[in-house]
Amino acid sequence: MSHTAQPQQTQTTPATSQPTAQPAVIASRRRCDADGVGLSHYILMDRKPAR
Amino acid sequence: MTLQPLDIGHADYVAITDPATAFWALVRKDRLAETLAGGPLLDAYRERAADFARELHGLRFELKPSAVYVNPTERCNLDCTYCYIPRDMRRDGEHMAADRLLAALERLKAYFATTLPAGRKPRVIFHGAEPLTNREALFAAIDACRDDYTFGVQTNATLLDDAALAFLTGRGVSIGLSLDGPTADVTDATRLSFGGKSVHDKVLSAMDRLRGYDAWSVIATCTAKNLDQLVPLVELFHAREAPTCMLNAVRCTLPGARTVKPADAALAHAFIAAVERSHALFRASGRKLVVANFANILLAILAPTARRLMCDISPCGGGRAFFALAPDGGLFPCSEFIGLPQFEGGNLFRDSMEDVLASPAFAKVTGRDVDKFAPCSTCAIRHFCGSPCPAEAHEMNGGMEKIGAFCGFYEEQVRYALRLIADGKAGDFLWDGWDAGVETSFSVNLP
Ligand SMILES: C[S@@+](CC[C@H](N)C(=O)[O-])C[C@H]1O[C@@H](n2cnc3c(N)ncnc32)[C@H](O)[C@@H]1O
Repeated sequence: MSHTAQPQQTQTTPATSQPTAQPAVIASRRRCDADGVGLSHYILMDRKPAR
Repeated sequence: MTLQPLDIGHADYVAITDPATAFWALVRKDRLAETLAGGPLLDAYRERAADFARELHGLRFELKPSAVYVNPTERCNLDCTYCYIPRDMRRDGEHMAADRLLAALERLKAYFATTLPAGRKPRVIFHGAEPLTNREALFAAIDACRDDYTFGVQTNATLLDDAALAFLTGRGVSIGLSLDGPTADVTDATRLSFGGKSVHDKVLSAMDRLRGYDAWSVIATCTAKNLDQLVPLVELFHAREAPTCMLNAVRCTLPGARTVKPADAALAHAFIAAVERSHALFRASGRKLVVANFANILLAILAPTARRLMCDISPCGGGRAFFALAPDGGLFPCSEFIGLPQFEGGNLFRDSMEDVLASPAFAKVTGRDVDKFAPCSTCAIRHFCGSPCPAEAHEMNGGMEKIGAFCGFYEEQVRYALRLIADGKAGDFLWDGWDAGVETSFSVNLP
């Protein structure tokens, strides 16, 4: 698929306290009711953590 | 299901995605062949693939508008190099009269009552141009409609005096500011008044006076003029206790913006350095400065429906999750289109919202689907990036079925986001409490 530059290596430093064995597979997905309405010229900061 | 590998530039992990459902997994490189051959990951995914496809379809095609960007004036006191509002409009344009603004909010209220469940308030974001140049009308509207809407204002901060600030914060209005550099000379390279005056110090003063208010944020527009200053800029935002910022790639819809367009690779490098700096500051101080546009890419991967910005999804939020109102009542899919008359879908005072939303002008934007044009249609990350922005694709690259200005930059952001997930660090880059009301729908961790 890649129609652009190669990935930049070494952007992230490896986690300092990595578990001894790295998992072979990491996969997750989460869901909620969708209500995003921000655009790149504005983000509404009206979601309180304890809502 | 069709799984595609994606090199994320990580020492140990490679990603695989099923772009059609926005499914992803990170696989240790030494286990890739074995994982792709079958086994617990593919079995678990096969069971859920149809649910994920439905979820993504709902997000992409079934939302109803819940917000409107209201431009209460065409005018602005600044002449920023890259503005997507045409210069003549900003300099010589019209204000919306106070009674027209009120009438508009009344009409919109009636419309939103048909789209939103009872008890959920629509959002009105005053935007522009510079909304505070029409302050009296703006404040009268906020007071008159305070029970009907959740309000936000995006402002260049030059007119945000103590009284305006007290008015807005006293009513819980969310406030967005704009600043492009850590020092006046950097901000001045893109953001000056029509008379050529610096506005940098005024924005700093507003930031100081907003300290402690929880509903404010600041936008920096990333251009060729400030790329090497994004790290000190993030340091300034953090020092001034901005809860959230956005580091936005300049949208190249109008020609002026293209004069300061950075190259993808340089932008990616500077942007990631700035995001990393925000993380180091969090680790050192315990206080987060969330870079909202990057957080949104992380959310697009981790919890697609929890996205807060609707640019990085296809079709974008323009004309379906929100729309924009011009001061003459003209309706556009998004503020980004206000300078492009062919995208006016109708007029709030003459047409029904249903007709406007179904208008050819709106359908052009809401019909832009990355599954349907190259190179996006075969891209592994097309539903994490969404190929923003339609206005830019149309004006700069010649049509809706074109990519926007920063394809390579988006790819790099997704790779970086996946590296952070591989390293277990993604949560550090998200708002505290982002996952309240969010449930796990898939989880596979194989030793
Ligand atoms: C158009 S202004 C309107 C509100 C107000 N005058 C302000 O300066 O915040 C909203 C935001 O969009 C940004 N902006 C304007 N033109 C842009 C472009 N071509 N690309 C990206 N951001 C842009 C501005 O820098 C500002 O942060």
